[in-house]
Amino acid sequence: MSDSAVLGTLPNPARQSSTQNVGENELSLTTVLPSNLQPRPLFTGHVSPGSLDDQVLAFPGKKPPRVWYVALAITTAAMLLGFTLFCYTIYMGIGVWGNTSPVFWAFDIINFVFWVGIGHAGTLISAILFIFRMRWRNAIARFAEAMTIFAVMCAAIFPGLHTGRPWLDFFLFPYPNQRGIWPNFRSPLVWDVFAVGTYFSVSLMFWYLGLMPDIASMRDRTDSKVRKVIYTVLAMGWRGAASHWRHFEKAYLLLAGLATGLVLSVHSVVSFDFATSIVPAWHMTIFPPYFVAGAIFAGFAMVVMVLIVVRETMQLKNLITDYHLEVMNKVVLAMSCIMGYSYFMEGATAWYSQNEYLIHAFKNIISGTYGWAGWLTISCNILIPQLFWFKKCRTSYFWMILVSIAVTIGMWFERFVIIVISLHQDYLPSSWRIYRPTLVDLGILLGSFGLFFTLVLLFARVLPVIATSEVKGMLPGSQPKHGRSHG
Amino acid sequence: MTDSTSKQPPLLVLGMSLGAVGVVLSYRLVDHERFWANWVYWFVLLFTIAIGNLFIVALQHLVSARWSIPIRRVPERLATLLLPVAPIGLLGLLAAHVLYPGTRPEAAHNKILAGKAVWLSLPWFSVRTAVVLAVSLGSLWLLVRGSIRQDQTKDPQFSARAKRFAPGFMILFAFSITAVAFDWIAGLVPEWYSDIFGVYLFAGGFLAALSSTVLALLFLKQQQRLTEVRNDHLYSLGTFIFAFTVFWSYIAFAQYMLMWYANLPDEVNWYHDRLAGGWHAVTVALAIIHFVVPFFALSTRDSKSRESTLRRVAIIMLCAHMLDVYWLIFPSISHRPLFSWPEVSFALLFISGSVLWVRRTLAWGQDLPVGDPFLREGLEFHL
Amino acid sequence: MAESSTTVIGVYDSPDALIQSIGVLRSKQLGQLEAYSPYPIHGIDEALGHRRSPIGAMVMVMGIVGALTALGAEYWISAIDYPLVTGGKAPTSWEAFVPIMFEVTVLFATFTAGLGMLFLMNRLPFFGHPVLNSKSIAKITRDKYAIAIESAADSKEELDEQVAEAALRDAGATTIEIVREPKPSPFLTSTFVLRALGGIAVSCLVSGVLMYWVIKLFPVLPPMSHMLVQPRVDPQQSSSFFGDGRSMRMPVPGTVARGFMPSFVASQEQAASLVNPLARTREVLEVGKQKFTERCAVCHGALATGIGSLTAAYGGKPANLQAQQFRDYPDGKIYWVIVNGKNAMPSQAADLTVDQRWSIVHYIRALQRAQHAMDRDVQ
Repeated sequence: MSDSAVLGTLPNPARQSSTQNVGENELSLTTVLPSNLQPRPLFTGHVSPGSLDDQVLAFPGKKPPRVWYVALAITTAAMLLGFTLFCYTIYMGIGVWGNTSPVFWAFDIINFVFWVGIGHAGTLISAILFIFRMRWRNAIARFAEAMTIFAVMCAAIFPGLHTGRPWLDFFLFPYPNQRGIWPNFRSPLVWDVFAVGTYFSVSLMFWYLGLMPDIASMRDRTDSKVRKVIYTVLAMGWRGAASHWRHFEKAYLLLAGLATGLVLSVHSVVSFDFATSIVPAWHMTIFPPYFVAGAIFAGFAMVVMVLIVVRETMQLKNLITDYHLEVMNKVVLAMSCIMGYSYFMEGATAWYSQNEYLIHAFKNIISGTYGWAGWLTISCNILIPQLFWFKKCRTSYFWMILVSIAVTIGMWFERFVIIVISLHQDYLPSSWRIYRPTLVDLGILLGSFGLFFTLVLLFARVLPVIATSEVKGMLPGSQPKHGRSHG
Repeated sequence: MTDSTSKQPPLLVLGMSLGAVGVVLSYRLVDHERFWANWVYWFVLLFTIAIGNLFIVALQHLVSARWSIPIRRVPERLATLLLPVAPIGLLGLLAAHVLYPGTRPEAAHNKILAGKAVWLSLPWFSVRTAVVLAVSLGSLWLLVRGSIRQDQTKDPQFSARAKRFAPGFMILFAFSITAVAFDWIAGLVPEWYSDIFGVYLFAGGFLAALSSTVLALLFLKQQQRLTEVRNDHLYSLGTFIFAFTVFWSYIAFAQYMLMWYANLPDEVNWYHDRLAGGWHAVTVALAIIHFVVPFFALSTRDSKSRESTLRRVAIIMLCAHMLDVYWLIFPSISHRPLFSWPEVSFALLFISGSVLWVRRTLAWGQDLPVGDPFLREGLEFHL
Repeated sequence: MAESSTTVIGVYDSPDALIQSIGVLRSKQLGQLEAYSPYPIHGIDEALGHRRSPIGAMVMVMGIVGALTALGAEYWISAIDYPLVTGGKAPTSWEAFVPIMFEVTVLFATFTAGLGMLFLMNRLPFFGHPVLNSKSIAKITRDKYAIAIESAADSKEELDEQVAEAALRDAGATTIEIVREPKPSPFLTSTFVLRALGGIAVSCLVSGVLMYWVIKLFPVLPPMSHMLVQPRVDPQQSSSFFGDGRSMRMPVPGTVARGFMPSFVASQEQAASLVNPLARTREVLEVGKQKFTERCAVCHGALATGIGSLTAAYGGKPANLQAQQFRDYPDGKIYWVIVNGKNAMPSQAADLTVDQRWSIVHYIRALQRAQHAMDRDVQ
């Protein structure tokens, strides 16, 4: 059936009065573009592939500034405290977190969800923005991915520890065994094992493959014999051959696509831990996308905070520009709005359901023993980030750091609200308790932050924090001008 | 403004007239529930597609995407479907007592319905519908009319204004689509609730809008219009459709799996209606044509930029969205799938009418948004 | 056969120069061409005549394999090998299998993409390539571009260095480097395969040993084993607390098992007042017969005559229940003996439920009647 038989002669647009060719008009208008349309550069100053190498790859060879050592001392101390309390928990048993009610698992679960969430920003920047070809991601992707891996490592501690006998955690893997039993695949906790395990493996592989060309650059620049050997092994003999780049690019694109699927699925599976239950205020169908948005939200705030420190202390302001920070702050704002929608939907649906238990649980969020936590969460997650509607706040260190810290606290407390408020008064009155964290809980949380920042500091010292090969590819003059075949 | 040689194509007018006759007859001959279910179905379907297209336009302004500038006029024109859809929606309010238990006076005796009478009652239902339609039309005015005018004025201020309005539109859109989902679909079974439902309707609507854009775009290319749009642009559109097919499937599965898992009577009856008897086959068919087929059809790199594949997948996605909205609405009013001359009449009327409308819009503004200051970048876009 | 392989490397300053010279050099057919750059160059694959990478197809296939593997494994484990109903959900509930299936799909696909790209397609790690060991590599990974010409793989001729060098200079190379390396022995042409197999074997061995240690040896080391030693009493455990050294104790005297009512009758005379609560039905007599045969016949004989198979061995004198004395006994006294024992006979109460005891009483009565039948019984 031909279209013209059905549609007849189509109406055509009116002829344009001017005879200007398409696309010519904007030449004269570039000088009068409104401020919010002005194109922003992705790097400032003169940057060439060589200068990029000199700037970024020089760090592993140089002695770090004193402030690095001070920071490392602090984070290592925190980490050791956490490790000590971790061992104490194993030795004495989970009872040191409190006993006799499900709500005493609170800190463990909160920390797990919190850290997995922080990791998602890295994958989003690395993978999703790669798929959407957002060039601004190139300078920050490597660091963000590294943060993902470290965050997932921090996260994995908690489910590992909370089994009580972490050396038996391998029970969760479905291998043929003498016990004659298998893990229960219907349980969201087992889904978590696979999801977080896959997430860690995929992130590690994605990060490492992306690093290979940069390690090759470091291999070829270094004078130290020891380093040369290490980098040679790690670079696996990468030599920049075009036939290798071909497979590399394809694999990288596929990995980015697969990692995108993971961003959605991993935190959704974590949300299933709650949403598949019938605990009031946990069984809300919006949990999967709400958790994913929250993860991206918290992660971006953490990335912004770390990148501010990185660009200042490592003199990378010409590569991690104000524009990068501003765009990330806009993402934080967008995610805050999505969180606002989610909170609204949760509260509205609780009312809409007319279910007395659900309504009671939601009332507990804004009033009662933990009402302060609910208000803290709403202020930190929804109200304070609204500052980012104002350009001044998006571009000022003070406001950026303030909002990022507020978001980090707010997102931690959001999980507190979800877990503690629902569990401290769920369907079984014999489980009702007023929850108070123990010093062990707090110490392990502090320790996880210590671990995370220790790894970040070590990463910045040892490996290139910017994906030089990716940034080189988008510098002006880096790609041939003509003779290209079009897709 | 329009080309004087074009006139109304007879086949479509005939189809529309036949459909109209059938619709009037079904008002007389078929029970009111079925009639109004069809009416509401077409309102929801066309509204989600139209506002989905407006969402595409706003999204492009929000993230300052350049690759999509050459194709932006297509969703802008499709979004104008909101204009005929608005009265359809207002008329659909007449369905209230027939279809929506919460609007009936008996609802006062039901503890759950009475508790939320302030939401379910007809006056507030009407107010919300009017607000949603007004907001949609207002956004249409701001985004589309301004864009078409920019063809003549070449004023970059419009682009700046659109970029400033885009985030606000997103917020208004989120609440509008949620309101439509809860009012018009969830309202059919007011004891049921699912807070992901707005996201679900968004996912389906956005996907249908993308497909309608692709279909219209490919059609124009076939007519030797929009020849500047190349495979690179098509690849990006194909990727979007692929990605959001996965997104829709994820949302649909999440809602189903959570309700299945907890098995609470409050929630699971909605799925029972859709898995019992004749509806089970429809559910399976929905999963296949809304996820399996497009996922595998668009999985390779080539397929995402090949015109023939994109056209077929776009048609399949539109049919999938039609099946989706049918699956959302009809099981709440009938125990077995209904499909006979009333449904066909409604389809004839509304499909022909929509195509006729879109055909008219092909003269509105230039095919390329020639006033956009970044059009050249968009045309030069390479993967 | 050539003793050494020669690679001629020409270094360029710009990507345009690189692309242009590729076209020129390919037409001269000097040998195997490879281009090098610090980052991927658009359009270079077409210039070099490369085919599309097959990684996409590999990933798709392995992704599907992953999905089916996960689904199959979950289904077999949950529905066939050890079916359990959890949370009221059928063992075959597919909905619960989807999240893991999705993750395993991504896992398989990712490892295929990453490791396939590295090991299969790029044949890395490989540290012996002449360009890697050249001086130009530092320029390549920094900011310059290069073309390397090697003799074609199937060609027996050596590369003509002069011709290659001249061609490269003509095409715009700024620096030329010639790398001569001894050709690897043809016997080891499958080095990569050998290395890969060796690597796999080593990883299997290492992971096997590690797994054995983690699963078998580590958990029983202290302090992990501390939980196995607990301050509680385990079955058959010795005890230093009780005099007889056993931790398992008999129940306190007077303990009543569930389902039993203790007998409030102190003596056999008082038991005479107990009435048999069971009706004399065929089922009851069947039970009585079975239990009598099990427990009583060994001593009292199959016909309750007091001559059973154990009598000779024990030298005891079980009661002849056919005697007049016992035919005159009320049911309750027979019941009392079953429960409490009499003389040498131990109590049978622990092995017989109340109903079984009364059924035996019925059966004994039937036996007595059978041995002393009256005329009217056979009419």
